[in-house]
Amino acid sequence: MTGDIERYLAVAAGLFAIGAIGFLTRRNLILLFLSVELMMHGVGLTFVTFSRMHFTLEGQAMTVFSLTVAACEAGLALALILALFHISRSLDVELWSDLREPDLSIPISPSDLDPVTPPEEQEFPKLTPAGRAPVFPRKPVVIKTSGSMSRKV
Amino acid sequence: MSHTVLWLIPLAPLVAAIFIALLGPKFLREKSHLPCILGLLVSFFSSLFLLFNLVPQGFGEHGHDIAALATGYDFLSFGQLTARLDLRADAMTAIMLSMVTGVSTLVAIFSSGYMHGDKGYARFFAAVSLFVFSMCLLVLASNLVVLFVGWELVGLCSYLLIGFWFQKPSAATAAKKAFVVNRIGDFGLLLGIFLTWTTFGTVDFVQLFSNHEQFIEVAQANPGTLTAICLLLFLGAIGKSAQFPLHVWLPDAMEGPTPVSALIHAATMVTAGVYLVARCTPLFLAAPDAQLIVAGIGATTALLAALIALTQTDLKRVLAYSTVSQLAFLFMALGAAAGLESPTPAISAAMFHLFTHAFFKALLFLAAGSVMHAMGDVIDMRRFSGLRKALPVTHWTFLCGALALAGFPLLSGFWSKDEILAVLADASKDPFHGSFFNGIYWIASVTALLTAFYTFRAYFMTFWGPEKFPEEAGHHPHEATPAMAWPLRILAVCAVGVGFLLGPTGYFGHYLHHTIGFPEAGEHVMHVNIMVISGIVALIGIGLAWKFYVQSPELPGKVARTFQPLYELSYHKFFIDEIYYFLIVLPLRRFAQICSDSDIGVIDRTVNAIGWLPRLVSWVPRVFHNGLTPAYAMVMFVGVVAGVLYVVSFLPK
Amino acid sequence: MTLFTLALVAIGIWLQIPRSRNWPRWIGMTAVILGGIGQFLCLRIPESPLVNELLFWLFGGGALFFGVLMVTGRKPVYCALWFAMATLSTCCLFLQQSAPYLAAATIIVYAGAIVVTFVFVIMLAQQAGATAYDQRSRQPGLAVVAAFVLLGAILTVLNQSSSKLIAVTPPPASAPSSDVAAAEEADAPAESDKPAVEVANSLSHPRPGESLGTLHGTGRSLFGDYLYAVELAGTLLLIASVGAIVIAPRRGQGT
Repeated sequence: MTGDIERYLAVAAGLFAIGAIGFLTRRNLILLFLSVELMMHGVGLTFVTFSRMHFTLEGQAMTVFSLTVAACEAGLALALILALFHISRSLDVELWSDLREPDLSIPISPSDLDPVTPPEEQEFPKLTPAGRAPVFPRKPVVIKTSGSMSRKV
Repeated sequence: MSHTVLWLIPLAPLVAAIFIALLGPKFLREKSHLPCILGLLVSFFSSLFLLFNLVPQGFGEHGHDIAALATGYDFLSFGQLTARLDLRADAMTAIMLSMVTGVSTLVAIFSSGYMHGDKGYARFFAAVSLFVFSMCLLVLASNLVVLFVGWELVGLCSYLLIGFWFQKPSAATAAKKAFVVNRIGDFGLLLGIFLTWTTFGTVDFVQLFSNHEQFIEVAQANPGTLTAICLLLFLGAIGKSAQFPLHVWLPDAMEGPTPVSALIHAATMVTAGVYLVARCTPLFLAAPDAQLIVAGIGATTALLAALIALTQTDLKRVLAYSTVSQLAFLFMALGAAAGLESPTPAISAAMFHLFTHAFFKALLFLAAGSVMHAMGDVIDMRRFSGLRKALPVTHWTFLCGALALAGFPLLSGFWSKDEILAVLADASKDPFHGSFFNGIYWIASVTALLTAFYTFRAYFMTFWGPEKFPEEAGHHPHEATPAMAWPLRILAVCAVGVGFLLGPTGYFGHYLHHTIGFPEAGEHVMHVNIMVISGIVALIGIGLAWKFYVQSPELPGKVARTFQPLYELSYHKFFIDEIYYFLIVLPLRRFAQICSDSDIGVIDRTVNAIGWLPRLVSWVPRVFHNGLTPAYAMVMFVGVVAGVLYVVSFLPK
Repeated sequence: MTLFTLALVAIGIWLQIPRSRNWPRWIGMTAVILGGIGQFLCLRIPESPLVNELLFWLFGGGALFFGVLMVTGRKPVYCALWFAMATLSTCCLFLQQSAPYLAAATIIVYAGAIVVTFVFVIMLAQQAGATAYDQRSRQPGLAVVAAFVLLGAILTVLNQSSSKLIAVTPPPASAPSSDVAAAEEADAPAESDKPAVEVANSLSHPRPGESLGTLHGTGRSLFGDYLYAVELAGTLLLIASVGAIVIAPRRGQGT
């Protein structure tokens, strides 16, 4: 016994749950952010479904607002990620554990101790170099001007 | 008019005190004595105006005197108890005030020379002004509550001044001792005031004493309560006036600057107790048992202090014990009122001796201060002698004071002490307590003899014999500066002359009986036989001292060796301090130690154990507090899931 | 049946979450796909048109499938791509539910967001190479259990209350105005003289004869009933952009 409304709600709940799993398990800051967006998709889908169920536009208006909030969140989150990356040179969320009890050591997942399997190297096609290769270190370009500048040296 | 003058008396020193305290250390510095002396002079002249003009204006038939009044405001108002901050002056007040302010002024002038160059110069004069203010407030109080305020202020100022050189541990200890011992007496006084209020329903002197019939009625209804009131008030007086069980603070108070000793002994502090008992005369008259105790304690103290004074080697300490002894004379006289038909001569004698004693004791202390000043703060009589050539002014003024204290005929101490002895002799004719007062009379006579002896012992040891200076003094001891010499001279004249002017003429007694609550005085009678006896006693004492300390200086040592235990007993002040230490201080210390141990061992540990409980409980959850954001989010998410499940479980199936 | 398929999906996801010793990818994927198909079979509506059914299977299943891929991906670049796919699928679901404006808006907004994310990922993640934090995850079991308990609870409730979840049919076009429609809903002659005070947000209701989610209707709703909220949302965006500028590291400090 399923209705048309019900299955959309089920899909929305599934999106929400999957996003939650992502948010709780992943350690990459960018992936956390994407997971949150996925959860918001689930919520938006629920709104739209209810909007259709009641035959009003209120749910859709609400989704517009959730979209706005998502946009704000995207901007702020990316700025924050950038700032954090600037400090720690890493996107690992576990580096930011300053709120822990002072005598607890920095938690290390037991699985961190195992060696990381390097991803298989893929050969990507490369473009042929064009133009002149820049010379390092760059030399300052001396602009010759008439008269007064040359006397300084 | 009376309003202004009455308020001027306490407020002038208070203003001076505040002025010096605020501006002294920064701006006045070496001129700090000026506001103090000015304030005291204003107060003194106001007192004289009060004494000669205002109070006599109100004199009428006996018992219908109009006191000078200055109304203030309601100071305390608890339920039915209302204590107004009013000032009220009658004959006794006026006499006390002129004595207090006069002597204080001279002491302040003396101090300006004596304290010169001290770091706390301004502080000293601020405290002195406050001291005089407190005493004036105490004397002018119109009810017991305001009197108590003044009483406590006096205690505070004595603490400040005795501990003036608080860097010295001995001074700090002495100040603490004076304060603590006085607290015992103050506690008694406070209880006495409470009991007075519950018994009579008022603490105002006029309301208490003016309606005589009602007063007697209440008194006869519950004599036990009245005796209790009197004894409690007397406990306060014992503390303030340094009588036998609580006298231990006064000799130690010598740690303060010498002018402070003069102030405490003569004018401000110790007279407060006598004043309180004299002021409450009607209460004591209604409780003869209490009066017997007053006289008994007076006699005990007098003899004890005189015996101790015999062997002390510290000049100021001798004088201190003589103060204790002389105050005990006053209490003897006050107590003797129980054995007289008309108590007024007894009160009059006591107040008269208080009055004369103030002058010559202030004189003696200031002279001792002058000696100390010259000797480089050495006060042990064994280390100097023969100062009469080096310090002529000090020598002559000290001699005047010593003669007056010894009761040399025709000097002021002679007249007043003679009156006390006469009162005691009269009291011994009383059919009920005659033998008791007879014993007290003999004790008083012996004490008079001892007084003459130890006073002149001190005099001869200091000013006679071979000339000897301690090395602290340098080789040329300098005589007192004019600021110190003139108060000495004025006081010497007073010590010699005041008694002769007021005593034999009966003027003092006539003036004093206009005090509220005092019964009618009889005719002033001269007791020639007693005068002769007391004069002879004084001369014998002086002669003995001459024999011991000038003619044959080896004699005292012999006597001391012969009566070794007695000498030791006297030298160590009858071991009273030690007895107090073992009976009171040590048990208290033990008890405090036990309390402290139990506090640390039991209470603290319990509290710490309770403090450990949350730690133990938090041991498990704090592991989750690992600072990882996903872990926190996990907890939050699990909470949300739990909430959803809870809600879902309530949905209809 | 539902719970069983759910558990299958959960186990599939759990198997795929990155850890030090990975299961082969196909085991988890098979479990997810099987479980998902089983679950979708449960959600089948027998008498509905085939097109509807197909579109729902395509986009609903697609959204979930791409979501799973995103969550379990080892490479952030791929994750971003899967997320874009999931977003597109969701937009198609919006379209199916007569919300064309929303679908367009979502695509536009997320196009910006995804592109920016993409740039970030390439810029930041690629220079770090294969990182430990992408290969490892924390608390996978607990997270999967919690999320699927929630999902199971929601699905159970939906199952129980599916009889009430029926879409309102649009009022007939012949009705003169929405006020009358509201009055008809009230179905009481005594209240019929009252105008449509009882209907809150009346502008958000499609006009008679109008279908749901037209641009016209959405605009009327947003700038009629929700005008203040729209203004507030604009302000929020402004503040967020200012905040982002403040938070982001300065160029002078080097990035």
